[in-house]
Amino acid sequence: MLKLENISKKLGAFMLSGINLEIGAGEYFVLLGRSGSGKTQLLELIAGLNKPDSGRVYVDNEDVTNKRIQDRHIGLVFQDYAIFPNMTVFGNIAYSLHCRNTDRNEIRVEVARIAGELNITHLLDRFPVNLSGGELQRVALARTLITSPRVLLLDEPLASIDASLKDDIKRIFRNLNRKGLTIVHVTHDYREAVSLAGRVGVIHNGYIIQTGTPVEVFSRPVNRFVARYSGIRNFFRVKFTNESGTWKANCDGTLSFMLTEGNYPDEGLTIIRSDEIKMYSVEPQGHVNCFKGVVTEIFPSEYGMEVTVDAGERFCIDITADACSSLRLKEKSEVWITIPPESIVALQGNS
Amino acid sequence: MSRNSPFTWVMLILSSLVLLFILAPLAGMFLRTGSAQLLETVNDNEVRESIWLTLWVSFAATFVFAIGSIPLAWLLARKDFPMKKIVQGIIDLPVVLPHTAAGLAVLGFISRDGFLGKAADAVGLTLINNPAGIALAMAFVSVPFLINSARDGFSAVPERLEKAALTLGAGRSRVFFTISLPIAWRSIITGFVMMFARGMSEFGAVVIVAYHPMIAPVLIYERFNSFGLNYARPASVLFIIVALVVFILLRLISVRRKETPLSPDAET
Repeated sequence: MLKLENISKKLGAFMLSGINLEIGAGEYFVLLGRSGSGKTQLLELIAGLNKPDSGRVYVDNEDVTNKRIQDRHIGLVFQDYAIFPNMTVFGNIAYSLHCRNTDRNEIRVEVARIAGELNITHLLDRFPVNLSGGELQRVALARTLITSPRVLLLDEPLASIDASLKDDIKRIFRNLNRKGLTIVHVTHDYREAVSLAGRVGVIHNGYIIQTGTPVEVFSRPVNRFVARYSGIRNFFRVKFTNESGTWKANCDGTLSFMLTEGNYPDEGLTIIRSDEIKMYSVEPQGHVNCFKGVVTEIFPSEYGMEVTVDAGERFCIDITADACSSLRLKEKSEVWITIPPESIVALQGNS
Repeated sequence: MSRNSPFTWVMLILSSLVLLFILAPLAGMFLRTGSAQLLETVNDNEVRESIWLTLWVSFAATFVFAIGSIPLAWLLARKDFPMKKIVQGIIDLPVVLPHTAAGLAVLGFISRDGFLGKAADAVGLTLINNPAGIALAMAFVSVPFLINSARDGFSAVPERLEKAALTLGAGRSRVFFTISLPIAWRSIITGFVMMFARGMSEFGAVVIVAYHPMIAPVLIYERFNSFGLNYARPASVLFIIVALVVFILLRLISVRRKETPLSPDAET
């Protein structure tokens, strides 16, 4: 459906390098990256707003690298929506139809249809200056969808929207994708990828460093950068040793984690998700990787409570508010933590 | 900043002095001109014709030069090209030239030996001592105001809006006429008003190109030289009143555009 072949583009001191990506028809692909990682530039290359220095862009097996923007039939919703301030919502949505010299009656019918689908019929006579972020997002979507794009590109579509409206907008994206629309969505927020993506790519400093399903990327990140993106806060530099057939990861002589079977390098990083560490007020029996520690911090988080435990190394642990109160946790409480070996992911090198 | 702080007072006093400097001579001129004198000047055909000539020639010069200045302003705002800074410097040149020198430069261009003069001569038009020549002299010194204001207006149009229009299937010219131009319109109108006002008040460049027919600044100068201050003053006051009325009207039009958004189907 959409294929990027060895795309490179220099933009001042920044460079997109060797981008290879294939996105299937009807796929929801989320490209994750920090500000300045090159994700918006990549979208603009796909849309044709910039041309690559080298490489090719294919849409439906057609090479569109040198095609004019207006002939590509690729829809792009900008991060700040780029709604035309000199036109009403109706004028904005009808813009592409005017470009195609569509009959006035047909324009009215089409605009009414798309406005109905996105629940913005009541906004049609209003000017953008009077609209909220969520309303502007719907107008931008309607204006793009009315062109029946082959691919919909979304640049940070939830970044400027109130939390309460995000679910509504996500539902719209899911429905569009369910109807077969191929979507490429760029964001810095891994949670958007978790809730929307069929496949995820992580871009950093102009390179795509990992692609895969959300489960593959977030449970088996290829490096520390990707791991950080999936919200993992527990990283430990370790040396891997094999003692009598059992692999262990040793943290600078303080702690030692038992690992599952496998092939490990001499040294590297281990990562542990904060919701996979269990906490007890008394020493539990029958657990490997069981460590005694002291609570150093407790504060509310979106999952309930985030607890920091010093057990020779600092562990960030997510627990529910109920669990926190039943364990009667407070700062300086002594606790026991356990980590299942299968929750410990090893990464090569120190990156 | 406290409203009544000594700093505020100092700023207020200094500002008032500058305002007084601008207003006092004008107020003095108005106060010394009796209504009878003013009425007599209003009835003076020569004065009326000269004010009318000044207004329409300046307006025509602004209108005609806007046709080329707006595209130039867009290029300066949107495109990078070799020697862009030099081009910008050339545009600002007439503002810093002594206006009599600017008049001499225009005269050389439009006289029968000059490039434009020869071309005009070929179609039977003499530019010297002709409203067309006056318009060129006015435009020469005032067109930078329009170009610079329009350029700032185009620069302030977010490029994303133009890019969005392209992704929606618009061609470059449609993007210009439906997005860039309407959004930059206020700055263009401001530049238009500034160019018109500057052209209308031009004396130095025009007097070298055309003493006759007399535009208002030349007429005022001529009356002052020939008959003295008392005879020149009522013509000045009348010209100032007319210029102010026109200026305020044009400003009102541009402010109204600011407050009233364009029509829903602005792109059609």
